[in-house]
Amino acid sequence: MTTFRSASPKLTGYALLGALALLASLALGRPELLAIGAPFVLALAVGAPLATEPRFAVQVEVEADRALEGDEIGVRLVLEAETAVARLDLSLGLPENVEVCEGSNPVSLALAAGERRQLELRLALQRFGAHRLGPVVTRAADPLGLRRWESVVDVRPLVRAHPREELLRRVLRPRETQVYAGNEVSRHKGVGIEFADLRPFVFGDPVRRINWRASARRAELYVNQSHPERNTDVILFVDSFAEARLGDEGTLDLAVRATAALARAYLTRRDRVGLVGFGGILRWLTPGSGLTHLYRIVDALLDTEIVLSYYWKNIDVLPRRTLPPNALVIALSPLLDARSVGALLDLRARGFDLAVIDVSPVPFTTRPSGDVEGVAYDVWRLHREMLRQRLRQAAVAVAEWRSGDPLQAPLEEVRAFRRRAYV
Amino acid sequence: MAAVGLALALLLAGLVLRRGGTIPWAVACCAAASVVGRAGHATADAHAAALGVLLLLAAELAWWSIDLSPRLHVERALVRMKAVGIAGLVAGALALDGFLLALTGITPGSRVTLAALGMAAAVAVLALVLRGGPR
Repeated sequence: MTTFRSASPKLTGYALLGALALLASLALGRPELLAIGAPFVLALAVGAPLATEPRFAVQVEVEADRALEGDEIGVRLVLEAETAVARLDLSLGLPENVEVCEGSNPVSLALAAGERRQLELRLALQRFGAHRLGPVVTRAADPLGLRRWESVVDVRPLVRAHPREELLRRVLRPRETQVYAGNEVSRHKGVGIEFADLRPFVFGDPVRRINWRASARRAELYVNQSHPERNTDVILFVDSFAEARLGDEGTLDLAVRATAALARAYLTRRDRVGLVGFGGILRWLTPGSGLTHLYRIVDALLDTEIVLSYYWKNIDVLPRRTLPPNALVIALSPLLDARSVGALLDLRARGFDLAVIDVSPVPFTTRPSGDVEGVAYDVWRLHREMLRQRLRQAAVAVAEWRSGDPLQAPLEEVRAFRRRAYV
Repeated sequence: MAAVGLALALLLAGLVLRRGGTIPWAVACCAAASVVGRAGHATADAHAAALGVLLLLAAELAWWSIDLSPRLHVERALVRMKAVGIAGLVAGALALDGFLLALTGITPGSRVTLAALGMAAAVAVLALVLRGGPR
């Protein structure tokens, strides 16, 4: 903690007043000036010896380093004074979207020598994200305010606010399964619960799998074959090239919340989930499973933001292990940037099982009132419809999702398209 | 009257714009107005003592008002301590001025004593300024 000491303008002002009054009194022979200036000299004489540098320490303790969007967390400022502090102004720096809902910040107080004080604050996390609190700026003053000591305590705890996720009743079923056990009924035959087929008995088959009715009809043993339950690979593709924003909400916020909800839903099914943040800053997480991986995905999502970039990117920049074969790729994109649309079509052309949720920017825009501007707006909306049609022609299921609608609705629309497309 | 008006304007400007630099000038204008107004009564009497103490009180209250920001929550204990401190300072200033009045009233040679005290005080103030200035 570096402390900057400075004399307040009061010290200079009182000194000048006292000196001027005394010197003028002598020069002009006006003793009443002495009586006028003496109190200011007294203030300096009393205040100067008391203006010693205070010694104190400040610590910041956070109740929890993870919370949900909209939740409140407790923060404690612990002050320990080695010497008396006549006046201490404290301010805890707060990032955007974090507000104080209980307690006072900034605050001015006095500390006795050896005193330990705790200041409690409750902060509301208004938006998801990685919020770094602090630093703590302090300004101490002596009893008469003649000197100040300012310092910045560089304590910056990180608080992660997870996005509020919507509960999904059903998710999209990938077409292909993987080799590990999971909740998805595979198309292949093996050991499972869902009946698949009958085949002749071979040595080594468990006796309990013998289908006695079929065996009685055929006069030889037949066994049941089932569809095994396997896990699947799902890649969540978040387009962060551009967004539409109105006030505090934007398409990227919707996409992040939807991605978190989908990640939780698939990980709960024991599927492997990967993440690709495709935008100005490229981020990826190779597919994984479990609660730890969910936290990794959410942490990566918290850092997602729009970064302006003119660099043309395609999916070749992604490591191959990020997009495993037979994975279902669910893209959440406002379809505002040509690079994102190109990447999606490229994915489809490479044979990936792709579904697109069009996070509609239309609710975040208003139709201009002018004739020319209004026509341009209509053309823009038609262009978006054309993009969706282009994706559908490439056998990509696309559904528009508007702010305020449940995420389940576009998922069901995509499911219906995929069912029809493969009948 | 002009000097008093200027002093009030400077004080108001300092309070509204939160600039403490105008306070000493406001005090100086008041003191100058008093000296000019009492030309011919060049004595250190109770009037001058009271003016000095009142000017100190006004300056302290003005600085306190400027120091307090509307966003800053000030604890009551701090407010009490500050009020007690200002009261103590004002009482001390009254006592000091009373002592000075007593000195000027004792003997003719007290004027020399007063001058010597004034010189010593001026030197001490300058020394304090030099020692305690910004670094």
